[in-house]
Amino acid sequence: MSRQAQTAKSQKTSFSIDPRYIGRLVGTLTGICLVVALLLGIVNYVTKPLIDASQKAKQDAAMAQVLAADSYEKLEFTTANVTALYKAVAGGAQVGWVAETSTSGSQGAIQMMVGVDIDSRVTGVSIVKHSETPNIGTKVVGDQSVLDRFIGMSHADGGEITVNTGTNRFDGVTGATYSSKGAAAGVNAALTAVSEYLAQGGQTQ
Amino acid sequence: MNVGKQLKEGLISQNPVLIQLLGMCSTLAITTSVANGIGMGLSVTIILTLSNIFISLLRKIIPDQVRIAAYIVVIAGFVTMVDLILQAYFEELAESLGVFIPLIVVNCIILARAESFASKHRPLAAAVDGICQGLGYTLVLVVMSAIRELLGAGTLNGVEVFPSEYAVQMLALPVGGFLTLGCLIALTQWARSKTGQGGK
Repeated sequence: MSRQAQTAKSQKTSFSIDPRYIGRLVGTLTGICLVVALLLGIVNYVTKPLIDASQKAKQDAAMAQVLAADSYEKLEFTTANVTALYKAVAGGAQVGWVAETSTSGSQGAIQMMVGVDIDSRVTGVSIVKHSETPNIGTKVVGDQSVLDRFIGMSHADGGEITVNTGTNRFDGVTGATYSSKGAAAGVNAALTAVSEYLAQGGQTQ
Repeated sequence: MNVGKQLKEGLISQNPVLIQLLGMCSTLAITTSVANGIGMGLSVTIILTLSNIFISLLRKIIPDQVRIAAYIVVIAGFVTMVDLILQAYFEELAESLGVFIPLIVVNCIILARAESFASKHRPLAAAVDGICQGLGYTLVLVVMSAIRELLGAGTLNGVEVFPSEYAVQMLALPVGGFLTLGCLIALTQWARSKTGQGGK
């Protein structure tokens, strides 16, 4: 169809306000939407249990990696950077906490799981989700040996953990300062959350 | 219908990325590893083929005035389905492609093929077109991600070729995407001018 013919055709029809024509427009669009919605509903019904299960498994694995326990019980406690706090229980007694933190790195939020033992010392850090620069930020968030440098640190050793400076020093990665600081901020948030939770009268059993 | 001609158009002479310059955003963003390139390319191919067939089937029913809205609904439906299926069965891939799967909805390759081809041809031809254009897109993604992964990270599909300390990290960053794509487009134009296909 030539361009002129196309323009002429659309001009002719676009001025039509015939109710039947309008009805046809609305009807067709509604029909298509309904069919697509139905198909989506079916796919969602089939895949939802699988997606939920895999997310739960991933979360449990991340928690088990930072602090081994039999079960994790979610506490009604959050702070600015701690999106969830779990009580880790093993053999009927509490062995510590696992905090889910979200802090800003260099490219976006770094979501981590931070394990904290009963003496408020870090037992492990694992990354849930990040968007740091490949080959730069990932030297921090993608390297477990760097994250493992947090193990054993505590605010009792000299206050907030600071990167490459201060009394409670964490050795970051050169060139990835913001990612290092983001990870350290997550660990700080977790330790602070635990002490605040205890200060509020949360019981250590 | 001429499958050979459609395939040649999709892969080379009317390549969606290198010649039509469509779908640049995802091309630049996800081509940091070969696995990503293949995953994204195949996802787009599947969605493109399905939406082409569907739109071709509906081409006589959809009124002209609301055709874009109707195409978007169909495309968004297929994208969401593929997204859910990837999350359920190919979790790692879904994670590394991240937001770019939902963004296929507005990938202009799919809308362009719906508008310029599927809405004017029979379902079978539209399906072939979807596969051919999708393969053309996949081809470019794989070539680009191979270049960027090899030179930017020293690996090829996750296998180390040389130590990453010697890699050109810039190529793994967004700027490397622009550089690689620019060079590929220049190469294509040069090849086209040699064979006398390209315009000025």
